Amino acid sequence: MARRRKFVAPVEAVRGGWRITLDDEERNLLVRLMDELRALLTGPDDNELIRRLFPVAYPDDDEKEAEYQRLMREELVASRLAALDSVTHTIDPARSSELLDEGEVIAFMQSINATRLVLGAMLGITDDESADDADATDSPEHHLYDFLSWLLEWTVRSLSPT
Amino acid sequence: MVPAVLVRGPTPAASSRHNGAVPITLEPTEVMEPDIDEAVAINRPWVVLVWNDPVNLMSYVTYVFQKLFGFSLEKATELMLDVHEKGRAVVASCGREEAEMHVFRLHEHSLWATMEHDGPSS
Repeated sequence: MARRRKFVAPVEAVRGGWRITLDDEERNLLVRLMDELRALLTGPDDNELIRRLFPVAYPDDDEKEAEYQRLMREELVASRLAALDSVTHTIDPARSSELLDEGEVIAFMQSINATRLVLGAMLGITDDESADDADATDSPEHHLYDFLSWLLEWTVRSLSPT
Repeated sequence: MVPAVLVRGPTPAASSRHNGAVPITLEPTEVMEPDIDEAVAINRPWVVLVWNDPVNLMSYVTYVFQKLFGFSLEKATELMLDVHEKGRAVVASCGREEAEMHVFRLHEHSLWATMEHDGPSS
């Protein structure tokens, strides 16, 4: 996995919360990505790009699966949208000096990861082999995927018990 | 951009075990059906499975296991490696309602989780 070298962790636990250290350009990029994901989540249900965000719960039982999706899909959409809204708020360049609480960091982590999954679907990453191919490919989308992976690694690290 | 089909659906390796337990309805109707098999099956626990996927990071999966199930780092890492190397791992065995809650929370974290009845159906 490609990693950018940077002297300051982009996400770190500090006294009183979590600090995100990203420049305005990176913050604005994330805000745009959250907007795009929000548009996908509020668009048609059958969009292939978001299919991976709504996995099948009962692969062996169509009836239970239909019931599960009927009850839970809307809730999952709502949960994802709430996380996106939280990120849009916390990543705003105007709030760059404010610390995040744990719930906000978790929303950040979930939303970054969801974005990676959608991007992975766009890039055709469907197995370990295509994931390796993607690692070796040079395109703006692949750079973005790497950036999100790097950001996610630091976010997970900042949340993990030491 | 050609959309990729990410979810191929887990291989139905376990479905053969359910032969005889799943009611076969030839003509689906709107009528409420008494679900006898449900009553028979009620004592069998459900298992929650997490399946391998090429996008979720190993560190992320380990963290989610720790957070959602309270596993130690060692246990969470072991399960993550099972997912990565064997293709799937059982992360919980419990009643149906609890299993659905686990599946939902795993889906919230974008892990590829499913649930099925544990053990032979006969």
